[in-house]
Order: sequence, then C-alpha cells, then structure tokens
Amino acid sequence: MANALIKMTSIEKRYGRSVALSLEELTIEVGRLHLLSGPNGSGKSTLLSILALLTRPEQGEMFWGDERVSWNSGLLNHLRRKVTLLHQSPYLFYGTVFDNVTFGLSVRGIRGNEAQQAVTDTLELVRLPGFSNRKIDQLSGGEAQRVAMARALVIRPELLLLDEPLANVDNESARVLEEVISTLPDNGTTVVMSSHDPFQHERIPCRIISLLDGKLVNTSSNHQSSLFVDKENSRCPTLKMREA
Amino acid sequence: MDFFTESFRSAFELITANDPEVISAVTVSVSVSLWSTLFASIIGIPAGVAVGAYQFPGKRGIVTLLNTLMALPTVVVGLGVYGVLSRQGPMGELGLLFTPQAMIIGQTLLAIPIIAHNTVSAVTGANPCIIPTAMTLGAGPLQSMIKLVSEVRFGIMAAVIAGLGRVIAEVGVAMILGGNIRGHTRTMTTAIAMETGKGEFAFGLALGIILMGIALIINLFLNTLQQR
Repeated sequence: MANALIKMTSIEKRYGRSVALSLEELTIEVGRLHLLSGPNGSGKSTLLSILALLTRPEQGEMFWGDERVSWNSGLLNHLRRKVTLLHQSPYLFYGTVFDNVTFGLSVRGIRGNEAQQAVTDTLELVRLPGFSNRKIDQLSGGEAQRVAMARALVIRPELLLLDEPLANVDNESARVLEEVISTLPDNGTTVVMSSHDPFQHERIPCRIISLLDGKLVNTSSNHQSSLFVDKENSRCPTLKMREA
Repeated sequence: MDFFTESFRSAFELITANDPEVISAVTVSVSVSLWSTLFASIIGIPAGVAVGAYQFPGKRGIVTLLNTLMALPTVVVGLGVYGVLSRQGPMGELGLLFTPQAMIIGQTLLAIPIIAHNTVSAVTGANPCIIPTAMTLGAGPLQSMIKLVSEVRFGIMAAVIAGLGRVIAEVGVAMILGGNIRGHTRTMTTAIAMETGKGEFAFGLALGIILMGIALIINLFLNTLQQR
C-alpha cells in the first residue's frame, strides 16, 4: 500500500440532526489522483471541506502524515498552507488575473520576479499565456476556472482538492483542465477530485472513492490510460519558486 | 419674485467675491466634517467588519441598535456631549466646549453608527466564498479579513461618504457644541440658521448653494462607487 498523506478514522460530520458524513476509515495516498464519486448529498463536498481543513468534524481523528490534526492550534494554519480547494464555481478576487494568481504567493511572502515567473509559468500550464493583466470580468466561465486552477497550482500544494472542476466549463477548458489534473500526480501532487462524470475514471488513471449517504461504500483503482490526455504534450513545466 | 431674483444675485456675488465670512464658514464646516468622518471611520469600519463577518450571540441586537442610532437626532447627540463637556460635566476641566474639537467629538458620534451599519451591510452582502477562498489559498485569519475588506472596499467607501454627508449637513451638534462663534466654530449650517434669522437671506442662500454643491459632489461620488 502507498504512503498515506492523510488518514481519517471514525470521522463524523453533522448538519443539525442529519449526518452528512460518517467514515470508519479513509486514507488519501501520496502522489495519487483520487476520484470522489457519488450522487448529490452523498457527502463529497463535506469530505473535501474537511480535507481542506475548513470544516471541523464533530468526531474522529485526522492525521496529516504522522501529525495529528489539531483543530484549535496555530498548527492548523501551517497545515492549511499545504492544501488548497478549488470549487465548482470558484470565487475570483476583484482585479486582474495576476492579482488572483499571486494571492497565495503574496500571503507566503513571495513577491517580485519570483512571483512574476511563477505566474507566467502557471498561466502557460493552463493555456492562458498573456492573460496576466486581464480583468476577471473579461473572462469566460472556462477561462475563470482555469485562472482559479492556476491560482491553486502556483502555490504548489501537497494536496489539491477539486470540487467538480469540469462541471460548468466549455469543452476546450475541460480538456485543458483534465490534461493538467492527470499530470499532477507525476509531479508529486496528491489530488482528490469529486465528479459526476461517469466516464471520468475511464479517462484518468485514479483511485476511486465512492460515497453514498455520507458513507464510504467502495474504493478501487483504475489504471486505464487517458482518452483525452496526450502524454507527449502534457508535461507540467517546472515552476521555479521556493517551497512555501 | 424680485425678492428671490435679487437674493440669488446677491448670493452669487458673495460666492464669487470670496467673502471672508463665507470662506470661514465653509472652511470650518469642511475641516470639522472631515476630521469627524476620519475618526468615525477609524472606529466604525473595524466595528462594522467585525459585526458583519462574525457570528455571535446578540449580533442581531447590535445591528438593530446601529440601525436605530442612524436616525439619532443631532440635537440629542449635541445635548449628551454638552452634558459631558460642560463645566459641571465629567470632562468639563478639558475646556473643550464651544471649540471645533467639541464639534468633532459630537459629529464623530453621529457618524459612527452610519459608517458602522453601512459597513455591516457591505460585509454581509459580500460573497460568502471570499474568506474560505482566501483561507484555502494559505491566508491566515487576519490576512483573510484584510482580503474581505479589500473585496468590499467600494461598499465601505460608500459608507464613509454617507457618514460625511450626514455630518456636513447637520446643524444641531454644531450649534450646541460649537456655539456658532464667528470665525471659530461658525459652520455653513449654523451661519445659515443665524443669518436667515437676522434677515440676511442672501448670505444664507450663498452658503446654502455651496452646501448643496458639496452635497451634490458627495452624492455623485457615492453613486459612482455604488455602481462599481
């Protein structure tokens, strides 16, 4: 079995009286792409929010590597810098594409040429070269999603969480995003992505985590090669920046 | 009709002739209003952001209180501060009564609820994803809050402008706490009230025109911000 980046045991999250998520045990493996599947209300978004350390479960333990997650300590902010969550309809900050993509860098104290180079490289990765100075209200839905992806990738998270990132985008953007996502594990990034696309697991090699009514019903692996991804042209360019 | 025509002609003559009385009243009004808006912003904006961004017991009560205080009569504020600053009052030894500083204190109290309440509205009306997005990109609690303020800055600026509009046009606080002393605490509004009472309608009209001009500029600026 691969190394565990995150291990969750006896996790339970409630909203009022209803149990949104109840997991006996779940492991997120280092450097793998995990596809989170299940119908609406199955607990996918709740699980992603817990993994993003934004939502605290009422019960259970969570380990990041060997480190137990303590929800009340300053350590939480330290761990939060290793993970990022990209929503289905991401919020882009007022301003330009550059303002958005550099946000995660600036809160880590990375500015100047280093930040500029990282933004340029990441925008090229999501096929938006030259978009740096574009205002966010001039972007299409697909472009906005790719900018949000660039904003998440530029900080080089250990764990990237994606909440149905391809749901509301055009075919071109979906193709680009899927291509980028499929290459991330090769670069050491662990990915957990929720999806309603029943054929996604056939296109991307991944570990499937199936949820139903907040419970884990199955985990399985699929190593089929991608239909969309052109492996020759899908290498992630190396982002030259210091470790956050 | 001749009365109005003649009064308007005299008023414009006073404005274009840079009448020292007019200039003094405008200067005191603008100066006192800007200082009080600055102090009210320093208190009202952080308070409004805190009330708007956090959930806590009694939040609804505070918002209702701020809403009520927005309609506080200026003379009531003037009366309250007068009691504190008068010789028999707890801060009487400072000798602030009938000074611009006393007017600034009163107008600051008048503007705080307006700026705080409008800031609360700007923050609660903001996209709820701002703070989680900032946090998931690595921002700490303070950095996330700064980002939230940055995202709603036009709403907050509108709150400040609304506060400025309120204090520059008020007369109760300026009259009670300033005492309408010529060249010292006489503002546009107190001068209008006094000069009109003396029958100097043209003088009052001149100041009224300037006050309306300032109010117009403030509102044009406010509308521009609200459309962004």
